Amino acid sequence: MQKAVTKIVIVGGGTAGWITAGLIAAEHNADHGRLSPSPKLDITLIESPDVPTIGVGEGTWPSMRSTLQKIGIDETTFLLQCDASFKQGSRFIDWQVAANNMPNGQHSYLHPFSLPIGEPQFAIAPFWLPHKAQVSFVDAVCQQNQISQLALAPKQISTPQYSFINNYGYHLNAGKFSQLLQQHCTDNLAVKHILDHVTDIVLVDETTQTDVPKGDISHVLTQQHGQIHADLFIDCSGVKSLLLGEKLAVPFISQKHVLFNDSALAIQVPYSDDNSPIASCTHSTAQTHGWIWDIGLPTRRGIGHVYSSSHTNDEQALQQLMAYLKPDLGIKAADISPRKLNIAPGHHQVCWKNNCVAIGMAAGFIEPLEASALALVEWTAKAVASQLPPTRDTMDTIAKRVNQQFQQHWQQIIEFLKLHYVISKRSDSDYWHDHRAANSIPDSLLEQLALWRHQAPSQHDFIYREMLFPAASYQFVLYGMQFDTQPQVQLKPSMKQQAQQLFTENNQRASRLSQLLPTNRALLEKLKLNSFSKI
Amino acid sequence: MTQHVLLNSVEHKDLKVITDRSAKYGDNLWYTVTFPLEFRSVQAHYPIFFHKDTATGQFYAVALFGFKNEDNLFLTDKGWDASYVPLTLRRQPFLIGKQMVREDGIEQEQHVIHIDLDHPRVNKNHGEAVFHAFGGNTDYLDEVGDMLAAIHQGLNDSQAFIDVLLEHELLESFTLDIELDNGEKHQMIGFYTINEEKLNMLDGTVLTKLHQQGYLQAIYMSMASQSNVRDLLDRKNAQHKKR
Repeated sequence: MQKAVTKIVIVGGGTAGWITAGLIAAEHNADHGRLSPSPKLDITLIESPDVPTIGVGEGTWPSMRSTLQKIGIDETTFLLQCDASFKQGSRFIDWQVAANNMPNGQHSYLHPFSLPIGEPQFAIAPFWLPHKAQVSFVDAVCQQNQISQLALAPKQISTPQYSFINNYGYHLNAGKFSQLLQQHCTDNLAVKHILDHVTDIVLVDETTQTDVPKGDISHVLTQQHGQIHADLFIDCSGVKSLLLGEKLAVPFISQKHVLFNDSALAIQVPYSDDNSPIASCTHSTAQTHGWIWDIGLPTRRGIGHVYSSSHTNDEQALQQLMAYLKPDLGIKAADISPRKLNIAPGHHQVCWKNNCVAIGMAAGFIEPLEASALALVEWTAKAVASQLPPTRDTMDTIAKRVNQQFQQHWQQIIEFLKLHYVISKRSDSDYWHDHRAANSIPDSLLEQLALWRHQAPSQHDFIYREMLFPAASYQFVLYGMQFDTQPQVQLKPSMKQQAQQLFTENNQRASRLSQLLPTNRALLEKLKLNSFSKI
Repeated sequence: MTQHVLLNSVEHKDLKVITDRSAKYGDNLWYTVTFPLEFRSVQAHYPIFFHKDTATGQFYAVALFGFKNEDNLFLTDKGWDASYVPLTLRRQPFLIGKQMVREDGIEQEQHVIHIDLDHPRVNKNHGEAVFHAFGGNTDYLDEVGDMLAAIHQGLNDSQAFIDVLLEHELLESFTLDIELDNGEKHQMIGFYTINEEKLNMLDGTVLTKLHQQGYLQAIYMSMASQSNVRDLLDRKNAQHKKR
């Protein structure tokens, strides 16, 4: 029981496995990107040679910048090798009402990555409410709506790597991202890479190993490499959840009754010409029974229709996807054959049991409406890396903590995604009506919505620290969707004045930046010649 | 507007170049690019800092003449008030051009002198002649040729110098806060200087290498040049008193 935790085995490659390997190795075995002469941990990643990675997950949050920096990857290298571009948020199109019910064309709004101006010191939303007829919330408090409509970058070539003028994450090619991470982890961080099939997972034999808790994983069995032992096993095996779900039988909690989408059709589409603008945000366009994602990489777009199989069928979903593609692809849209993906929306009850943590799809998966998948991978991997239990007998204490936060994160993700549907006024199918049925809405979300009728979401609405979505995210979605919050009658004049200054400053910044910033494509072209500097 | 052409003694035989220093000739700059090979002369008068090219994001060294755009504290009614004017400023209106020539059947790059015919210094009546009446370079043009060669060599060397500074993380950004006697405040951002803490921590082998390359001297000269900020400040205060 006092045995030190020194050997870690990660089962499964893909972005989840390699991000986890990179973060743990960087935290424990390296200092400032330099590998320690006597690494503390022995980290091995086992990957099946012929299991294809899912390779969707192509949008990240701004957290990916700190993750990459921590792992020690140069930003320019990352951008060029992973066909990555800059993502400044998500644009939601046709979510409020269906396009054919809008007299003035499509309704759309942006959920940007930058916080409202003045935040977190000054909560500006209450001061915008009285002006909502004149200016949208996002334009009043943030520059990214204008910037992204012009397909501009969040920074300039002279901005240091991983720094920003406007906050950003990435759009990337998931396959190439895994390769870069793998190469970096094996070349620079001494992570061992075993290409082999895991044939069995073997629990501790209680009769011979009395000092190890019952139910722990003793080793995994592989085809070529025999038994591989570890003190801590990390399950990155994807939806199969080989270790946590299958072997340790941690129950799966379905969320299909809240978030119905369980199917997706994904496709990659070339640009009509090499100089087409690269979108600065993920586009999410609501459909009658789901929504379509549209992610712009420098080399292609990744597009997919995610929908509820209980409300529609694959054929109809395909037709809608083709209708979406047709303006760009023309007649060629008929030739496409998208890949079908099945999603079981939900998550395991806990992510850490005994000496096994699941990270990524092995822990849970939900529709990518707010691109939370990689963010949750990063969060879990960072939690394991920074709180790595020193010994087996301290592991359960840490596991309890991490599980608690894991559950809170999942609850928030589910409620936040659900919010997008609940406040929609679409009425073009049962799908949208069902989404607003009270029995499909978590109680805590209903309570909060009642509160937000009278006051803007604030940090006080979230009692635990380190939440994934800040209050600002709720503000951007609610007010993007024309949600009504009663303006407060009495606002302090001094604070009103402060807010007015911030509105003016924001306006000036927005027009200055629209002149100053290069387009995504122009900046990425520049990076082929000159890199971002470190300072 | 600029009109860069290859200088030649036929078309340009009558050209003259005004060498006086004045705002009307484009001298009202608050900094100009410099490089280690002229640091010794530059540091005697101007603070040397580092700055990023907005077009490429790459660093270069600059000699500072003032605290804001179009504020050159060395430019007076009587000309330039310092004995040394940095080469990248003095070269105007000439610049280096590249030309591909075939020599013994091999393509080679050759450096040639270009001139900006639209530059306000260029005329036919005043200043230094470029060519003699019956052809042949004037001493002035020879001097210009030497200057351009020095700049070319200096900028190449500067690139190597900057790479070394970045490799050893010897640059750090800083904000210069200036307060004038009349209470006016200026804040200069976007400049970088030598990170002395990192410099002091360099080990012997790295220091030896820097010394051999001549960069250790350049590093210390740029650090010493910072005391010229005081001189700039005095000039600025004096300027205000005169008004």
